Amino acid sequence: MTQGGQGLKIGAPREVYEGEARVALTPDSALQLQKLGHACLIEAGAGERAGITDDAYRAAGVEVVADAGALFDGADIVIKVREPQMDEVQRLREGQTLVSFFWPAQNEELLNAAAERKATVIAMDMVPRISRAQKMDALSSMANIAGYRAVIEAGNNFGRFFTGQVTAAGKVPPARVLVVGAGVAGLAAIGTSTALGAITLAFDVRPEVAEQIESMGAEFVYLDFDEETQDGAATGGYAAPSSPEFREKQLEKFRELAPDIDIVITTALIPGRPAPKLWTEDMVRMMKPGSVIVDLAAEKGGNCDLTVPNERIVTENGVVVVGYTDFPSRMATQSSMLYATNIRHMIHDLTPEKDGVINHNMDDDVIRGATVTHAGEVTYPPPPPKVQAIAAKPKEKKKEPTAEERRSAEVSAFREETRRQVALLAIGGGAVLAVGLVAPESFMRNFVIFVLAVFVGFQVIWNVAHSLHTPLMAVTNAISSIIILGALMQIGSTSGLITVLAAAGILMAAVNIFGGFMVTRRMLAMFQKS
Amino acid sequence: MDFGFTIAAYAVATVLFVLSLGGLSNQEKAKRAVWYGIVGMAVAVVATMVGPGSGLWLMSLVLIGLGGIIGWQLATRVQMTQMPELVAIMHSLVGLAAVLVGINAHLEIGRVAEVFAGAELAFPQPEGPMTMAAYDLWLGLTDFAAIIGKKTAVEVTILRIELMLGIWIGAVTFTGSVVAYGKLAGRINSAPVQLPGGHMLNAGAAVASVIFAGLYLAFAESGVAAILMLLVLTALALFIGYHLIMGIGGADMPVVVSMLNSYSGWAAAAIGFSLGNELLIVVGALVGSSGAILSYIMCKAMNRSFISVILGGFGGTSGPQMAVEGEQVAIDAAGVAAALNDADSVIIIPGYGMAVAQAQQSVSELTRKLRAKGKNVRFAIHPVAGRLPGHMNVLLAEAKVPYDIVLEMDEINDDFPSTDVAIVIGSNDIVNPAAQDDPNSPIAGMPVLECWKAKQVFVSKRGQGTGYSGIENPLFFKENTRMFYGDAKASVDSLLPLID
Repeated sequence: MTQGGQGLKIGAPREVYEGEARVALTPDSALQLQKLGHACLIEAGAGERAGITDDAYRAAGVEVVADAGALFDGADIVIKVREPQMDEVQRLREGQTLVSFFWPAQNEELLNAAAERKATVIAMDMVPRISRAQKMDALSSMANIAGYRAVIEAGNNFGRFFTGQVTAAGKVPPARVLVVGAGVAGLAAIGTSTALGAITLAFDVRPEVAEQIESMGAEFVYLDFDEETQDGAATGGYAAPSSPEFREKQLEKFRELAPDIDIVITTALIPGRPAPKLWTEDMVRMMKPGSVIVDLAAEKGGNCDLTVPNERIVTENGVVVVGYTDFPSRMATQSSMLYATNIRHMIHDLTPEKDGVINHNMDDDVIRGATVTHAGEVTYPPPPPKVQAIAAKPKEKKKEPTAEERRSAEVSAFREETRRQVALLAIGGGAVLAVGLVAPESFMRNFVIFVLAVFVGFQVIWNVAHSLHTPLMAVTNAISSIIILGALMQIGSTSGLITVLAAAGILMAAVNIFGGFMVTRRMLAMFQKS
Repeated sequence: MDFGFTIAAYAVATVLFVLSLGGLSNQEKAKRAVWYGIVGMAVAVVATMVGPGSGLWLMSLVLIGLGGIIGWQLATRVQMTQMPELVAIMHSLVGLAAVLVGINAHLEIGRVAEVFAGAELAFPQPEGPMTMAAYDLWLGLTDFAAIIGKKTAVEVTILRIELMLGIWIGAVTFTGSVVAYGKLAGRINSAPVQLPGGHMLNAGAAVASVIFAGLYLAFAESGVAAILMLLVLTALALFIGYHLIMGIGGADMPVVVSMLNSYSGWAAAAIGFSLGNELLIVVGALVGSSGAILSYIMCKAMNRSFISVILGGFGGTSGPQMAVEGEQVAIDAAGVAAALNDADSVIIIPGYGMAVAQAQQSVSELTRKLRAKGKNVRFAIHPVAGRLPGHMNVLLAEAKVPYDIVLEMDEINDDFPSTDVAIVIGSNDIVNPAAQDDPNSPIAGMPVLECWKAKQVFVSKRGQGTGYSGIENPLFFKENTRMFYGDAKASVDSLLPLID
């Protein structure tokens, strides 16, 4: 305990799930947790596969305990990566808190067991997707890594460059990558793939993500489909199942693309359902030998017909299908770092007073949403969040005008302008003529000059650069003191009053002349090119 | 007296003035253009003093010298951030000068009439050739009196109408400019204020002006009554100028200043008519039309009609405004600096707050440091940022920010989605997404800088209050927006040591 108060003990056991290399606590996050007044425990060897030695933990002030039993006994909050095994749940005691991925929908048995033991379970996978909770959205941070790793894995299995090159030894075409599903993982994959130089196409059933896809440098594959498209905002930012007609159209498009695609990365998931089959066997057969499919949805059955979860297979026509389900774990150092930070934020929110006391605030949308058991009760599923999730309403897509439409629009705009100009000229001319009917000639002479000057002024000012509007104002201000001529003409009068008034006029106008021009010069002198 | 030379000089001056205004189309030509203006003015003044204005020329010279010194002092002392105030107060001088010249013209008519009456000759001159006696008397008149002396009755009436117009517009310009100055300098509350009766009061004063103008023409010959009418007319115009500008909110001041600029030009032109001076007419018309166009351009930039600006306040709203959801998240200097260090492209959006805090030097220094690190730093200037059109450009130029990285709204708006960090320094309404999203917002439809499309937005702002126009800004509540509270200069200064 580094600061006053009781402080909580936060312990991370070694992950028992086979092949899991991540760890829920890193030396960095431990330091941050200690600042909140907590003490940290770690099971010996827990960080080994993520490249973190026990000594590194000790250096960060973490107590290293020998085995899981001691850790579960010592910790007030147990933090984990994978959902607990049954024997781990059995170790929980009343009032203890477990923070971990939990997948409550699939693990009802575990859920009930945890509730029975009156432990509080906070499922990191249940953190609602609202902006405030982004810092603890472990699904997104893991998906980000998975997306990146999927491209690296594909590259590893792909026999060619990603980027096109023209070399002395011959020309290399760029790889063509198709990313299906543009969630966090999909976008990360798009970013990685374009960064490596591949031509990247991307598809998603939610048309509003087209903008995000294009912002990452990929080309959005549009479907010509009129049905009411999905509003991602209504489903918390996730995709919902699509209609059979839509699915047909989609598959048709994929079939069209398949022969030219070198790498397919599928990330399409629908919450609470098996992954939709989007890349069918016949599409795989159409692909060139040496092509690679990476199925990020393998854990939920896969988007590709041929995916075998946790395996890399090669089809008869030489297409590699990668069905690994542990992409984040394959980058354990990176994913541990991000996951530990997500966990740290969660604990920060659980102990808002920074006094080492848990304040389990069930009125807080984020905490309520993530809590699946509390005080002996199963609290899953949570009520819908009060704050609506991300994603704005889809914008009405404007139809690109055709060349002819644009031309005709231009022509009609030109006509309109001509009509307006003629009308203005007619009115203006008529007014001038009307004045000419009554006014004497001496007046009309001046009037002609006046009209011309107004016209010249209009023509000249349109061209003034916007950035020079202030100097323009100062200069016109200086020039408007031409009124001094009037005063000059009057000052010679034999009437004393007139002379005095004219003198005052001259003085004021002179202030203006010098002031105006000086200021303008000062301003303009400052404008300089880099 | 031979005015041929003067007229020729006027022609030269006119050309120089037109070149001077036209030259402002780009920064380099503009420096030359100012000299055209200065030379044009010198030619005009000298030509007048050797020609129709030769009376008491020594005194004129002394007065010009004196005014020059005052003007020089003002211009060299003023801070660049106070430029709007200075321009506004200088407009008031032109307006006042126009009023004085107009009143003088009236007095001069009376004096000339007396001279003719003293010689028992008719004035105004009857139609047809002048009698010998009248001609002899006329030869004795100098300067302006000489011009009046030969006028016929119709011409004198027109002269009176012209001088009334000059006085009226000049007086409106005068009080209007003084009020605008007060608002810009913060000496008068910038909120729109109107006396009970509102625009009806203005309309009433305008109608009364027309009535008194008619009365003035009716009593023109009677001396005291005429001058009284003229003074009442002036007072009415002074009131209109005051009340009109008091009723316009501070956010519309850029339009107001350029509108007053236009008025001062029209006043000069009207006086030019009454004095029969071609150069006054030409230059007055040039200035008048240029100010009018400038106002029009600015109204368009704000998507408001000219009328609604003049009538004051923002246009009526058609329903309740959208409620803003979410919270404003604050950030400290270290967080902003970290984001800047990571960013490749940065867009800075300065506003009036930068001018108030005098932060342009610090912003310039920040820009220099970021650019030295190879980052793409640019400035996005909204057409109505600040209190004067082009206000921000001038401030940034003063701080030696190169003008080729200072871009207009239309040039840069499409670049926000590909920008890492957008920094909003002291602007509010011009980055308000409600203008696009909320049809009920008072600024709905006004083009705004779409800074929220940048990956991250930092808003440097004093506190949580609303902007000059008092409209809530949903930008501050967006997910990618962080509020960097504090005085703009202090905030930017605190960033400087953190940029490595």
